Amino acid sequence: MEGLTASEQREFQARMERKQMKEFMGMFSGLVNHCFDSCVDDFTTKSLVQRETGCVTRCVKKFMAGSERIGQRFQEQQAQMMNQPPPGR
Amino acid sequence: MSSMFGFGRPQPSSAEKIAAAEQEMDLVTDMFNKLQQACMKKCVPRDYREGDLHKGEAVCIDRCASKFFDVQMKISELLQAEAQAKGGATGGGFGLGGL
Repeated sequence: MEGLTASEQREFQARMERKQMKEFMGMFSGLVNHCFDSCVDDFTTKSLVQRETGCVTRCVKKFMAGSERIGQRFQEQQAQMMNQPPPGR
Repeated sequence: MSSMFGFGRPQPSSAEKIAAAEQEMDLVTDMFNKLQQACMKKCVPRDYREGDLHKGEAVCIDRCASKFFDVQMKISELLQAEAQAKGGATGGGFGLGGL
């Protein structure tokens, strides 16, 4: 990402925004799948019951918390990689 | 002006540079998603009795991430060694080592 000119930078930025949108949609559908799968398996009612609603809320909350934590570890790892060349060379 | 300095090695075009930056971004995003999937699956039970990560889950996630990177590194080394043993053409191949 270093040696990009200003206009290249803009083009790159635009692409990243499109990608982020796509990424977000993917995250959303993945989360829906996961929480639906984890929380809903009783079809004796038509709407979500309180237990299921609660479960979905906690599922999303926990996903966010986990995501944040993993993000921190990931960033630390990336930073470490930047500072030292990979071993074995 | 690229004609002034640009001979010797070919300068990458704008499209190439952007594509390279994009590819790098994709690689990082992909890696993060895989890590997240793997560690959430292994560390967070799916009954969702509470919405916060409790201590055990948080510690598990930290260790899981660390081990995931270890495995990644290890496999990248093994593949590189394999590639070197075979034919010795060390160029390109799996570019994961430098990530």
